[in-house]
Amino acid sequence: MCDQNKNIYLPYLATVDEVIDETPDVRTLRLVFQDEQVRENFNFRAGQFAEYSAFGAGESTFCIASSPTRTGYIECCFRGVGRVTEALRRLEPGNTVGVRGPYGNSFPIESFFGKNLLFVTGGIALPPLRTLIWNCLDWREKFGDITIVYGARTEADLVYKRELAEWQQRGDVRLVKTVDPGGNGPQWDGKVGFVPTVLDELAPAAENTIALVCGPPIMIKFTLPVLEKLGFNDEDIYTTLENRMKCGLGKCGRCNVGNIYVCKDGPVFTAKQVKAMPQEF
Amino acid sequence: MRKQISADNFNILLQTLIDGGSRVVGPKRVAGTLLYEPLTAPDQLVLDELPRRSVKEAFFPVCEDLLAYQKQGQQLTVQDVDPSRFAETVLVGVRPCDAAAIPVLDAVFSWDYKDQFFLERRARTTIIGLTCTTADDACFCTAVGLAPDETRGADLMLTPLVGGGYLVESHSEKGEALLQTHAALFSEPGAVQPLPLAQPQTSTFDLKKIKAWLDGHFEDQAWDSIATRCVGCGACAFVCPACHCFDIVDEGTEKSGKRRKFWDACGFWKFTHHASGHNPRDFQPKRYRNRIMHKFKYYDDKFGQTLCTGCGRCIRLCPVGIDIAGVLEEIQKKADD
Repeated sequence: MCDQNKNIYLPYLATVDEVIDETPDVRTLRLVFQDEQVRENFNFRAGQFAEYSAFGAGESTFCIASSPTRTGYIECCFRGVGRVTEALRRLEPGNTVGVRGPYGNSFPIESFFGKNLLFVTGGIALPPLRTLIWNCLDWREKFGDITIVYGARTEADLVYKRELAEWQQRGDVRLVKTVDPGGNGPQWDGKVGFVPTVLDELAPAAENTIALVCGPPIMIKFTLPVLEKLGFNDEDIYTTLENRMKCGLGKCGRCNVGNIYVCKDGPVFTAKQVKAMPQEF
Repeated sequence: MRKQISADNFNILLQTLIDGGSRVVGPKRVAGTLLYEPLTAPDQLVLDELPRRSVKEAFFPVCEDLLAYQKQGQQLTVQDVDPSRFAETVLVGVRPCDAAAIPVLDAVFSWDYKDQFFLERRARTTIIGLTCTTADDACFCTAVGLAPDETRGADLMLTPLVGGGYLVESHSEKGEALLQTHAALFSEPGAVQPLPLAQPQTSTFDLKKIKAWLDGHFEDQAWDSIATRCVGCGACAFVCPACHCFDIVDEGTEKSGKRRKFWDACGFWKFTHHASGHNPRDFQPKRYRNRIMHKFKYYDDKFGQTLCTGCGRCIRLCPVGIDIAGVLEEIQKKADD
């Protein structure tokens, strides 16, 4: 999608097609590109990100949360915490947003064919994996067992609740959902405990399995040793990093971790790559 | 091609370029400060002093429009920037430490995605460099492998002569074209005597050795002492000919406005601050470490070049007296130990 003679900072225009409140402060926007050619030619892979803009407020970086197998639209999911995300949250169906992308690398999904997949994620870190989850579910026969361990502070903080219910019901994926102690209401049908602890108890087999981990730094910190204990190699553990970005194009100079540019070299990395980076993320 | 031009003819050349509609930019005093600014008359050119800011802003302005947007009813339209509006420009009197930074910046703005804002201006600009005959205590171009008569980045190079006038050498097709277009103003060089070259700091850094130390010392107590004084004002980045980090900001309302690119600096805490509150470089020494690492390691890792030309501006302007040449000396000493 890189046209040499183009203004690389010029976004495509997209219309907000649907607004979904995932939690009181987390929202999904389903976006449809206004230009027919862009709509047809916007190809991305699970794991890539984009720069989304609310005109007048600026641009923000989020992963593309929908699956490349679902065409005709893209989705992003974000928490309203800053100027741009608050402005994006004020948008209604029919409003216009800007989208630049897709940028960055992606999950090497083809190399996962024939393997079991273990997704481990927490809170608002589900969207970066949800693109891959749906991609894999849409190509279900290409993979072995699929397990999703997903936790949040409270029941209310779980995103994609309707999809969690769907995953729970379909027989070809195992969903283990958990909330932090005290985060459970009377109707809660999942586990209570932190993600690394729940993962430890679950003790999924590492053999022929790829682990895909995305979560807050503290979750990652305690999850990696559990995976290691279960016998996962660092090359078989994937994560997706995020850093403050502006250009997304390897120019503006802020998303680097050492000499690694998250926008160009990432955002998808193996645990082996992450461990080799300077600890500055 | 090697030619000579008298002081009078040099002024005629500048006047001809200005009259011909080119944007002629050179060191000019503006409200007491010497800056690379558009000239309207040849006598505005000041060549015996290094401008306060570098020449990078001729290609990478302090701020510039990336697009304009307007909303009418539900219909939002975006207007692109027309690069053909970038003026044909002649930069004149560019110091070697400034000119040498431009090819260094080419790397980041042209790898993978092409930044047409930088590259279009680059294509429309001819750089007339000036051999440096004045240096002060902060200059250290020779220490980073350049020299007062370095020609890197220059299309034409002027060397001031004793008694006035310049020796003129072309170093590119653009320089050659300028010489040929104005051939009548130049003569064959006679027995000329150039003014003595500037004498910057004599110490020389072994940049390979410094990089090797940086490769292995991301974590090192030295960073705390090196950068403990830094107040994160960003002055060093703004005057640097090679610093190129930027921000993208919307200015306007949701109805109409512009999206603009602004200079930014890795010394600012907000540079890497996440909306969540997390900041990977949450401590000033981490930010200063990034500055040194980017200049002498990361950019080298990626593009095989160093992001410093030894102009010394950051040393002159730092409000707390951080001396990057001193920092490099300290690192080199550590590398030797």
